[in-house]
Amino acid sequence: MSIKIDNLNKSFEGLTLFNNFSIEFTAGTITCILGPSGCGKTTLLNIIGGLTEPTSGNISGINGQALSYIFQEPRLLAWKTVRQNIEFVLNNAYEEAERKSVAQKFIELVELNGFENYYPALLSGGMRQRVSIARAFAYPSTLILMDEPLKGLDIKLKLNLIRAFARIWQSDKRTVLFVTHDVDEAILLGNDIVVFSQAPIKIVTRKNISEPFAERKMNSTSYNELKVDLLKVLND
Amino acid sequence: MKILFTKRQYISIASVAFMLMLWKVLSLYFNSDFILPAPEKTLLTSLKLFTDVGFLATVGVTMARGIIGFILSFVLGLSFGILAGVSPNFNAFLKPILVTIRSTPVVAVILLALIWLSTSSVPVFIALLTMFPFICTNVIDGIKSIDSNLTEMATFYKVNNVRIVKEVYIPAIMPFIISGASSAMGIGWRAIIIGEVLSQPQYGIGTAMQAAQTFLKVDTVIAWTIIAVLISAVFEKLIRWSEKRIVVWKA
Repeated sequence: MSIKIDNLNKSFEGLTLFNNFSIEFTAGTITCILGPSGCGKTTLLNIIGGLTEPTSGNISGINGQALSYIFQEPRLLAWKTVRQNIEFVLNNAYEEAERKSVAQKFIELVELNGFENYYPALLSGGMRQRVSIARAFAYPSTLILMDEPLKGLDIKLKLNLIRAFARIWQSDKRTVLFVTHDVDEAILLGNDIVVFSQAPIKIVTRKNISEPFAERKMNSTSYNELKVDLLKVLND
Repeated sequence: MKILFTKRQYISIASVAFMLMLWKVLSLYFNSDFILPAPEKTLLTSLKLFTDVGFLATVGVTMARGIIGFILSFVLGLSFGILAGVSPNFNAFLKPILVTIRSTPVVAVILLALIWLSTSSVPVFIALLTMFPFICTNVIDGIKSIDSNLTEMATFYKVNNVRIVKEVYIPAIMPFIISGASSAMGIGWRAIIIGEVLSQPQYGIGTAMQAAQTFLKVDTVIAWTIIAVLISAVFEKLIRWSEKRIVVWKA
């Protein structure tokens, strides 16, 4: 079921972020939301995730459903190992034995096998973010919200995480809303790319990418054309 | 078996040797057992104390007072600290009380406690009053230091409140609790012994010290002091040891 937002209104400290804003997100796809920083992309995610109350508006398609959130920071509990961090969010959903195997499955999908019993302090920044990706996917949610989880990582690490993410996503094709301001990330991961304007937010453009992840090559002709296109609307 | 010391440990050993030497020199200078007995004589007195009939009762009762005072302070400090940490209103209520307790001279409290309470419970009461504010303040600081991002994450993933307290709050404040417990213990032993000196319960290191002082047995007073220092050191080590056991996640 797709997620529909109708007539959303929200102001923040005197700034109108959303003024009768409506949008629909398709189920089972990765929608990338691009936009200038400070425009209210994160606020939209937080409204959908129930962390922020809108002034008014209607959201349909997520009622009572479990949601996952991949935050900008990994937000791992320092006193829990990789496995315990993932199991931490699975308590309500699975019995103990199942919890273990679910956690293990997603640890393997983000290629952290061998690190199950490590505490976060011993992991690199990229590895910690992979744990947070595994945690989000291990949680039996129907929608995953992502707020620039690749921000500040170097390009090699980014590509590495994008690959890990694409692989894990292929396993069950959940609905994903991915907020970013990085055009490359959007083109490499999005099935659907939405570009937002400055606040109050309007949809400037919306593109579909049907190419499978594996065939998306940075610096190919189609890639560069799309990138130039998106950068142009972003900078207008 | 070969015992190896690091350079720092050699310096620490030298420091202890220096204190003993200073003591010896001063005892030679005063040349009177009523003022300052020689360290070796005091050591013998200490060893002799171990064989005294009442030794175990004296040390045991003082330690029991310390442990009871500590447990009471710990339970109260943890629960009040958590409440104050999560509720700013309760924190505002508790703060003046903590400040008052902490700035009241220990001796004043003892004098009042002597009027109010039985002699053997005075030291426990004093221990409680000196240790509780340390633990409580540390728990409050610990809770304030908890990353709200983590609690937001836990709430987002529908982790219930009981588990959030048990698996997020308590581990996050663990280092604060331990450092609070360590300072509380350090100051607590001293307070208990002062309490015993003044309230004179039947058994207790403070009682024994006071008795020795009355008969000008300076070596015995110092011997009991050494025993008190040793007890304090053992408990400090115990806390540090448990810290290593509990806070295993620190790289």
